[in-house]
Formats: sequence, C-alpha cells, structure tokens
Amino acid sequence: MRSFSLILKQFSRSFVLVASFAICGLSAYAQGDAAKGEALFKTKCTTCHKIDQRVIGPALGTVVTSETDDKWLIKWIENNQALIAAKDPKALKIYNEYNQSAMTVFGDLSDADAANIIAYVRADWKTMQTAKPVAGAPGAAPVESGPSDLVIFGLICVIVLAFVIILVLNRVIGTLERLLLKRQGLELEEEEVEVAVVPVDRLLLAKKLIKNKKFVFFVIICGTIAMGSWSWVTLWNTNVHTGYQPVQPIKFPHDMHAGVMKIDCQYCHSGAYKSKNASIPSLNVCMNCHKMVKTESPEIHKIYDALGYDTQTQKYDTTKARPIQWIRIHNLPDFAYFNHSQHVKVAGLKCQTCHGPVQTMKEVYQYSPLTMKWCIQCHKRTDVNMKGNAYYENMIQVHDLIKQGKHVTAAAMGGIECGKCHY
Amino acid sequence: MDSNKKYWKGLEELNNDPEFVEKNKHEFAEPIPIEEVLSGAGLMNKTPRRDFLKALGFGVGAVTLAACQKVPVHKSIPYLIKPEEITPGVANYYSSTYDGHAILVKTREGRPIKVEGNPNDLLSKGGLSAQAQASVLDLYDVNRLKNPVLNGADVTWNETDAFVKNELAAIKTGGKKIRLVSSSVHSPSTLAVIADFIAQYPTAKHINYDAVSYTGIIQANKNSFDKAVLPHYRFDKADIIVSFGADFLGTWISPVEFTSQYVQNRNNKSLQNKKMSRHIQFESGMSLTGTNADVRILIKPSEEGVALVNLYNQISGATLPGTKKLNNVNADKALTLVAKELLAAKGKALVVCGSNDVAAQVLVNAINSLLGSYASTIDLDNYSNQYSGNDAEFVEFVSEMNRGEVDAVLFLNANPAYDYHNGSAIKDALKKVRLRLSFSDHNDETASLCNVIAPNHYYLESWGDDSIIEGYYTIVQPTINPVYNTRQAEQSLLIWSDNAVKDYYTYVRNNWDKNLLAKGGLSGQKGWETLLQTGFVNVADKANGTYTFTRELNGVAQTILNQSSQSEASGDNKLEVQLYQTVAIRDGKRANNPWLQEMPDPVSKVTWDNFAAMSPADIKKFNLAQFDVINIDVNGYSIALPVLSQPGQAQGTISVAVGYGRTMSGPVGDGVGKNAFPFHSFRNGTFQTSAIATFSKTGDNVILAQTQTHHSFEGRNVIRETTFKEFLKDPSSSSGDERKHKKYDDLFWQDYEIEKKPYNWVMAIDLNACTGCGACVVACSAENNIPVVGRDEVRRRREMHWIRIDRYYSFNNEEGKSISEEQEISTLKDLDHVSVVHQPMLCQHCDHAPCETVCPVLATVHSSEGLNHMAYNRCIGTRYCANNCPYKVRRFNWFNYWNDSRFDNYLINEHTHLVLNPDVTTRFRGVMEKCSMCIQRIQAGKLKAKIEKRPVKDGDIKVACQQTCPANAIVFGNRNDPDSEVSKALKSERTYYVLEELDVQPGIGYQVKVRNTAELEA
Repeated sequence: MRSFSLILKQFSRSFVLVASFAICGLSAYAQGDAAKGEALFKTKCTTCHKIDQRVIGPALGTVVTSETDDKWLIKWIENNQALIAAKDPKALKIYNEYNQSAMTVFGDLSDADAANIIAYVRADWKTMQTAKPVAGAPGAAPVESGPSDLVIFGLICVIVLAFVIILVLNRVIGTLERLLLKRQGLELEEEEVEVAVVPVDRLLLAKKLIKNKKFVFFVIICGTIAMGSWSWVTLWNTNVHTGYQPVQPIKFPHDMHAGVMKIDCQYCHSGAYKSKNASIPSLNVCMNCHKMVKTESPEIHKIYDALGYDTQTQKYDTTKARPIQWIRIHNLPDFAYFNHSQHVKVAGLKCQTCHGPVQTMKEVYQYSPLTMKWCIQCHKRTDVNMKGNAYYENMIQVHDLIKQGKHVTAAAMGGIECGKCHY
Repeated sequence: MDSNKKYWKGLEELNNDPEFVEKNKHEFAEPIPIEEVLSGAGLMNKTPRRDFLKALGFGVGAVTLAACQKVPVHKSIPYLIKPEEITPGVANYYSSTYDGHAILVKTREGRPIKVEGNPNDLLSKGGLSAQAQASVLDLYDVNRLKNPVLNGADVTWNETDAFVKNELAAIKTGGKKIRLVSSSVHSPSTLAVIADFIAQYPTAKHINYDAVSYTGIIQANKNSFDKAVLPHYRFDKADIIVSFGADFLGTWISPVEFTSQYVQNRNNKSLQNKKMSRHIQFESGMSLTGTNADVRILIKPSEEGVALVNLYNQISGATLPGTKKLNNVNADKALTLVAKELLAAKGKALVVCGSNDVAAQVLVNAINSLLGSYASTIDLDNYSNQYSGNDAEFVEFVSEMNRGEVDAVLFLNANPAYDYHNGSAIKDALKKVRLRLSFSDHNDETASLCNVIAPNHYYLESWGDDSIIEGYYTIVQPTINPVYNTRQAEQSLLIWSDNAVKDYYTYVRNNWDKNLLAKGGLSGQKGWETLLQTGFVNVADKANGTYTFTRELNGVAQTILNQSSQSEASGDNKLEVQLYQTVAIRDGKRANNPWLQEMPDPVSKVTWDNFAAMSPADIKKFNLAQFDVINIDVNGYSIALPVLSQPGQAQGTISVAVGYGRTMSGPVGDGVGKNAFPFHSFRNGTFQTSAIATFSKTGDNVILAQTQTHHSFEGRNVIRETTFKEFLKDPSSSSGDERKHKKYDDLFWQDYEIEKKPYNWVMAIDLNACTGCGACVVACSAENNIPVVGRDEVRRRREMHWIRIDRYYSFNNEEGKSISEEQEISTLKDLDHVSVVHQPMLCQHCDHAPCETVCPVLATVHSSEGLNHMAYNRCIGTRYCANNCPYKVRRFNWFNYWNDSRFDNYLINEHTHLVLNPDVTTRFRGVMEKCSMCIQRIQAGKLKAKIEKRPVKDGDIKVACQQTCPANAIVFGNRNDPDSEVSKALKSERTYYVLEELDVQPGIGYQVKVRNTAELEA
C-alpha cells in the first residue's frame, strides 16, 4: 500500500509540474482559461474545425498560434461576417481561400469565451507538438496479422507430412533391423515365434467375425446409413452458403455502425423501403459522416481514394474515381425474384429476421440459408401484416380465413405459388 | 351457335397439302430421332455396350469435374455518388417523342429499356407502332459509328469542325451551292437551326426528301386550295371510308394515329351504341388496311385512275371528257354502289388515295369537296407536318450536282444512295461534289460515299422537339448519356454556322421560351419543367376555313387516263408491279433491327425477307409454284424474288415491298430481301409507286420463313364473325352460348373458388378493334426478353414470340350461304375474294389447363389469381405441355439464344444485354416458356398498392401488349372486380371463348368480329 501511494504521489507531482508549465506558457499569450475553452470548443467548433487538421474550416492549431492579434481573433470568432463586410483584408483573404463559404456567427459568445477558446486551442496545439516525438513513429499502426488460412493449411500439411515420414522411417528401420537379425539367424527364429502367435490370434478373430453374417450385415447397414446420410446432407447443402463471409475491400464494421452507434439500417440501405434492392450505399452516403469522422483511418482513406477525394484541398477529382467492388454475400439465383420493399415496408419485417444479428457482426456473413425451403417455411408460418393497410380491407378471402379461424399467412394468400417469385 | 364458315391460314391448309398435314401432326417440326438411334447406328452396333460404358464413364467424370468448380464470386458495385432521382431497382420514366408521338421512355439505372406510349398523347392515346417499340434496341446497336469520320479515318470532333468550317467558308466565297438534304423535318427547333445555317451560308438550300413520298397530296392541295400541306385526316369523324390503295392502318402517313381514330367507330363501345363505320378498300395487293375493310375490291394500279374518274362522274353527275368504263366488272359495279353510299353519308364521308400522283390526288380532292369532307373529315387548317418532301426539288438537286453547280451536300437522316430510284445516278453525281457530309450514325449506303461523316445522336440521347400536327408540339429529351462519341446534328450545324448559341440544348430552350411555351400557357423555368413532365403542349384547333374545289378538271382527267393506258401491262410475262411498305420495315431505315425483321408481316406472315406476292390464279396461269424464284425486270433493273401465293391479290399484278435489300445497314439488315426502290419512277413531277415488269423463272427455289403454317388449329373453329346487320338484330349473333357445352367432372382440377379470391386476372380481346398491326408482338418481345431466333430457326417453326397474331382467310360468300364443305371449296376457289380476320393468340391461362395436368415435374401450375404459372427453373423440357396445349402457345428454347455465337448479330453483342428487362428471367436452353400475362407488372402493381395502403384500382396494371395497342383491342384486368373494364367487356354479348367446347375454361374472352358488309352485297 505504501509503495502505491508513493507512486501516485510522484505521478501527481510530475503532472502538476507539467500542467503548471503549460499554463505558464499559455499565459504569455492570453489570459484565457483553457479548461473552459475546451468545453466551448467541443460544443461550438468541432463540427467544422480540428486543431491539427483542415476539415471544413482551417486547422486551428497553426492558424491561432501564428496569429498574435488576439483582439482580431476574438472579433472573427464572434462575428466573422462583420469583418468580411467591413472588408478587413485578413478576413477577406480567409473568406476567399475557403471558397467564400461563410463561418457561423457566434453572437452568444462573450469576449472572455472567445479568449478561453483561443487559450485552449493554443495549449492543445502545444501539447500536441511536444507530445508528437514521444508518441513514437506516426502511422506505424499495429497491423493485425492473424495467421491466414493458407498458413494454417500449410502447417497442417507439414505436420501430416512429418507424421508420414516418421511412420515410413519407422517401417524402414524395422525392416532393416529384421534384415540384420535374419543374417544372424538364431534370433530371428525366436522373434518369429513371438510374432507368429499374435497374428494367428488376430486373424482368427477377424475370420470369425467375417463368418458371422449378422455382424457383416450390421457393418454394411451401418456403413450404408453413414454414407447415405452424409451424401444426403452434402447434397442438400450444395450451394447453400450459410456463414459465407468473404473478405471485403473495406473492413466495414457493422457492429460499430449498427450496434454501438445505433444507426438505422435504412440510413445506408435506403432502397430496402422503396425497391427490390436494399442497395449498398453509394459513397456520398459514407461521406456524410466520414468527411469529419475518423478521417485518419486507413480504411476510410480507401473511400477517399475511391472518390478521388483530397483531404487537404477537400476537392473531388473524378478522373481518379473508381468504384469499390464489394463482394456480394447474399446471392439469390437469377430466376428467383425477391423484393425488399415487400418484406420491409409492407410486411414490416426486421432486417435481422433474415440477415441475422448484423449489429454484432464485425464483418457480415450470410446468416440464413436462403434456400427455397427457408423462404416457404417463413411464408407458411408468418401472418400477413394487414394492420392499417387498406389494401387488405375488402378482401373476401381474408375475411373467410379469419371466419374459419385460420391464420392469414402469406402462404394462404398465394405466397407459395411458383409464379410469385419465379418469372 | 357456331359459324359454319371455313377459315384457313394459308393455301396449304385450305388444300390440305400432304406435307402440311404431316407437319401439323406434330407440335414440333423435328421429332427426336429415337428410332434412328435404337435401330441403325445406335445400340445395335458391334460394341454398343463398351461404347455405352465409355460414354457413361466419361459423362459422369465430366459432370463431376464440372461440378467441382468454385462457386463464382459476385461483385456488387454501388454508385460512387448516386444521382438523387435513381433508386436501384426502380424504373424512371422520361417523356420524349418518337416520330411526333409523345412517348414515355422507361429507364433502369440510367439505361432505357423500353419505349411506351404517353397515355395523354393527343394523336394515338398511348398507342405505339411496332417500329417505335423496337426503336429502343437500335440505341444499343454496336454497328453505330463510334467517332466522326474524315476521309475514311476516325477523327476527333475538333478536326471535323476545322475541316468542315474551312470547306464551307471556301465554298461560301466561291459562291457555289450548298444543299442540305433531309427526310422531312418536322421539329420546330431543327427547322430554326437550318434557317440559321442558311442565313450564314446564303447559297445553301434545304431539300426535304422522302423515300416514300407524299408530294402528290401536297401539290394537289396547292393546286386545289393554294395550301401546299398534307391535311390532317380524321377517320374518327367518317361514317364511310373509301380508300384507293391507301394503307392508312399500316403505313400511310400516320398509321398509329389513324388506327386509333378508325377503331373509335368500330370497337365495342361504338357497337354498343349501335354504330359502326363502313370501310371500302380498292387495292391491288392485300394490305393491312385491306384486311380490315368491310368490302375489298380488287383493282390493278393502272385501273386506279380510271376508277377515280368513274367515281367522280357518279358523284358529280357530270362526265369528264375521255371517260372510259373500267374493264373490271366487279369494280365497276362496286363504284356505282359506293358512289350512292358516299352521297348518302355526305359530310361524314372520306375518300383517300394512296397514289403519289398529283392528278389523281386533285381528283380525290374534287370528290371530297363534293362530299363535303372538308372541315369535317379532312382538316386543312390544323394540317400535318409529317411529310413535306418535294420530289421535283430532289430530282433537280441531282441534276444540279451533275452539272457541277453544287460544292457541298449535307445528308440529314436521308439515304438516297439506297432509297432513291436511281441510286447509281446519286453515286455518280456525288463524285462531282467537293464536300459530301452525312450525319448518319451508321456507315450506310450514302454515308459511305461521303468524305465526312458527323454521326448524329440517337433520339434517346438527344434534346429536341417535334410537331407533326400544326399546333401540337412535343419535346424530345435525352434518357442516357451518348453511348458513343457522337454529336447531335443540330449542334454540328450551330457550330459550323458560327451561331451565337453553341449548345443545342440552350437553343431548344430559347426557342421554347420565346415561341412555344407560351402556346401551352407555360412560361419560365417552371413552365419548362412542366413541359418535360407532360411531354407536349397543344394549341386549341384553329377554326376550319371553307374549302370548295373549283378548279377545272378536264386536263386532270386527261392526264390520269393517259397515264392509266401507259401503265397497263400487256404482252407475255408482263405484269403490273405495285410497290408497298411492310408494316415492320417501312422504308428500310430500321432494317438493322432484329425485332422488326422477325416480326411476321401482318398479312403474309413472312419474316426476314421480301417477296413477290402474286395471285394464286396467276401462279397457276404462268405455271409457277409457291417459293419459285422469279426475276422481275423493270426498265433494265432486275431483282430475283421468291413468289408468294397471296389470296386476294389482283390478277395481273405483283406486289413487292420496298425497304429490303440494304447493303450497308449492319449485319442484321444486310442482304435481307432485295431492294425494290429502283422500281420507283419519276413521272408527272412525283415519284410513282407502280411499274410494268417483265418476269422470268430462274429455276431456283427459296423457302420463305413464314409463320402462317405454324401452330395450326387443324380446322377447329376458333373464329366467330357476324355482319353488322345481324348484330343489330341480335347482338349475341354468332357468339355462341357460353358454357353450354359439356361440362366435365373436375377430375383433375380442384375447385379453386376463384371468385372468392381477390384477383382473377383475365383479358378481353375485341376482334373488331384489332387491326393485326403486330405492335403487341414487338412490345411483348421488349418487355419479356424474348429472343430473336433468325430466319433458319423460324423456318423450323421455332420462333419464340409469346403472342402471335393469327390471320385467317375465308371466302366471301353469297349472302347467307355458308361454305364449309370441302367439295364446295374446291369448286369455288375464288381466291380473289377473300376476307380476313386477325386473332391475337397467346396463353389463355385456362382454369382447367391441359398443360398443367401433363407436366411430370409440376413446372406449370395454376395460381390462385387465375394465372397459369411457368417455373422455368423447374422445367426439364419434356415438352408434354406444348403437345397438350390446344392453343399451341407454348414455346421451347432450343438454344441459349442470349449466349450462343450461332445467333450472332442479334443479341449476344456487348451492348444488347443492356436492353433486357431486369425483372424478367432470360430463359435457358431446354426450357418451355409462354405468356405470363406480364406477371412482373401484376406483382409490381400489387406491391405499389400495398405500399400506398390502398386496393388495386382498375387500370393500375397494364400488360405490355395492351399498353401498346393503338386500337385498344386488348383489355386486361381483374374479373373479380365487377366494375372493371374487363368484367364489363367479358359480359358483352359478343364475347366468346376460343375452343370453349373443350371446357378448359380459358381466361381470355374474344369478342366476335363484325363486318359491315350487308348493303353492298345486297
């Protein structure tokens, strides 16, 4: 316990020291409170600004540090439009540099608030500058390099080979030894007696068993059943790809988006409500968030590359654009027609019913078998969602079914007829 | 009561040719050679067992290996930035224009896949022709030019512009003539661009040139009323229509619009009001219009003029000098009666004439004036802009070139090297021209003679507008980015004439903002957007002026009579040739379209060829046989064509279709048929469509790919018709009594209680409205991804069309006497006087379907919505169903037409797959298919209603054939909805079901054909 508190003490002491140094350094510029500034910065500024990086607006670290005229900075923060309107040369320069897109006017910020923000930005920038060399080599992100399938396969091969070699070598050694003994004559006979007794016994047992018709019959039956059931299962599962999880060009984590962030499925797969295709989102949907969020991730940079997007200039170069080739997981054959809107919008099914717990999948795999049996089972068991849908209101068939006390399932409404899906 | 009349599809059926009878015993032309295999070369061989085991072993091995392949990895590639209006999987529709008709273009993920009529189109009310339906396929034609061409080499547009502008500037300073030759331009903006071009180059002149010309009518109206226009004919206002060789339902001026007008007085609605127009057709060859006529009188082309003179005399009461009687007794008798009828219907009569002769048309004007047709059935004030070609101007232009006066020619949508009667003269004359430029998007016959080709956009890639009726303006908007490096011709003209506006879209906008939007009460950006949605603006019709014919007719009559005697064929082996256009190919501009080439001609049922149609009597007389190839020679130009025996063809005439025999249209159209345009001639200031031909046998024999003998009903009675007189007495005459036949016990069929289900999808087809034009056949091909099989496969009876139009002939009989006995037929044999019924035939979706009971794998089963489903993935190709179908509407896929190099040219090139409807499976080899009643549309319609939380409304769902039908002959809907159109139609007294005596309970009801014949034959 003592040692613990000692370590803590030392730690806190050094922390205080560093902090006080930092504050001293700051106070040379402005008398703002960096802590208050941080809170303000996070609520007001982060939509468009970052300290070390240009986003929609400039990277504030360098800009605010190099600008020494605090009064001007405060004026700009509070009401940049006024400065532009007054044709302030500095203000106009920035305004033009950023394609004349106006920054929000923050009339609710007092001078002190603005000063606090400035203080925070400068302090944070400084810590970033000093922290950089300590943080180690930038960009050396740990590469997650689990053993690939090929490696595992190779290893297994090597092991199997090794076993085979050992077995063969053992045999060879045995043969050689026997040959050696043969030459010596005597020992061989002794050996022979010993060896001969056991095989005779064994053979006898085998012969007995073979002669036992019941046993043979039993073995054959077992074999046939085993083989039969194996081929039955194999044949049924031909081209059924449950669990299919190909490696996608971008490691898109559904667990993060749909699970942690709780983004609605249809934010990205907007076709599911309107069309037969749920559709993979076009990249402009990704950019709605990722223009700002996680811009440093190499996976996100794949999106930028695909779009020909330059993070520095924030411009799109369509000549460099090339589409992302996702690998399709859920493949229905061409002769089966499936319409998402029928199931999602009309029947009100949850995406998870067929696609499984996507919100927990790091990478998506095929959850359902997507066989016709699976479709039909669901059509037979699921009641039609007629609530509030005037489409079903005056259907005699529906009323008849209800009168008879039967379920109004999709199948009862003709949902398992060939032509409903095959045309 | 069944009709006793005997109907037959062709002479082979009528005569019971042994070959025909033998062939029709089988559903498929070529039986499986089982016996051959079993007896001769097959199992009885020396070592059949070993071979069998080898084959078996190899087969099993091969199959196992083939099955071992990895499952293919499918890619899914989303948009980078998705256009806002596109949802993958949902079609977008854009309004545009095809040949002056407002249309809707269906696009999926940015590519046009189908053309549909705009239901609000003023002219055809949503109907479209086969050509319009097929036009979408041409967009993906890989034979279109991919770059501008300068002296035979691909170049950039900058190089083209530099060259052309240089040349034009030099020619301008040289003061020599510039000629812009186009087929009739009716787009206001294009006309404005051309005017601007001419302003920049004052020596330029615009010449309208139509391969099939209407100059005769335009000039006649100029002579008669000082109005050089093509009138707007109103067949809907006519109680009696008399046509002299005008195929107004098939090819004449604006056939789709005329069809829509024509059936208004003949369809179910009109009949229920006890009203039906009368239509009398005088013609030589059997035209589509002729097949629909109540009375059809045969005349030779040379008799047409004399007949008109006689008709005029009868109507006016005067006698024109030099009048002679017609030698044709039948026609002469008929004319007297027709004149009486016309006079009786004064003010509601219409006489039209297909001739392009000015004198004949002047006489027709005189007749129409006497009948008071102007301002009622003929509108000269809201005239038609469809054709404005001037034949004399074009002939003059050719001689100008020959004289070396012309230094620049620009061809816009014109191909005179192919379709001018003297194509070689064009070739020679063009050599003397310095700048020869074509805007064609194919390297066609004329473009190949040019030193510059500036390929034009296809209309689906273009901006523009159109106006085929004065006061009706439609918009053309692009539905896809240009597929190749082409540029719109108008834009090229703007650039070359240094116009202030360089961009044709801006030019069109300006033109509409300034001149046209206001006509529809629109203005500004909002007005423009409204226009793009509605597709057209329409100005209220101008009031009709009074037009009375007052010109002197003696000279006209003289010209006509002189010409008649000159064009009369006399002597051995001489016949009169009548040239016509087929409904599918028309003037040959779309010859490279496989859908059109494979569409059976509505009358002859021939695909992929033109032919010499002759009267059966003539064929006998000249000792010819069907399909014998004859040489037809007119003034030194001769072509060899197979003979087709055409009932109803005037004796002493041959009919030959133009539009065939292209040599540079592309791999599909090249070498299909022979070019008959050189049989045209320039007489009396216009191109004439008849000639005197000498013919001789070649000894060859070519079997035409004709579908008329396929899928025969084997003499079963499937057509019912009545006369208008009978109909008035008893509306249910001839329709038989529905379901009076033997009812079989429901051994196989469970009682579906279909009337308690929400839907029972059925169809009603009005035989009296259907003109047989074939638009539905092409529409169905486009909607349902129906493959093209080609000439050879059609010969083997393997065409794939899901809907066909059966054309039945029957003899015109004496009143009340029915001709049913075989002997009577053989004694009568009056093959000149036949009448025709068209019957669209498609899967009848029988409630007790014979196909369903014989399928061993249950691939075809009945649905609770009254449809006969076909699951392709289940079908194993036994073809039992097709053999058991009494309607013969099932089609078997003999090949993978979409992916088989033997069917090159048609569907397997790199772009054609883009036209496929993604909602319909393409069928594999070895699978049966048939009409599904556009189940994809039914499902989509129901889904839309479910999403919008409302019941399905009648008219929500339209099937493809119904949608395109200009005659509205097909009504589709839900029989369980008592208020639906189809329920009402099926309740009409005229409804009958084909082969209802079999108790298969078909889902398609036909309405009896009514012929308004009584008066003339009395």
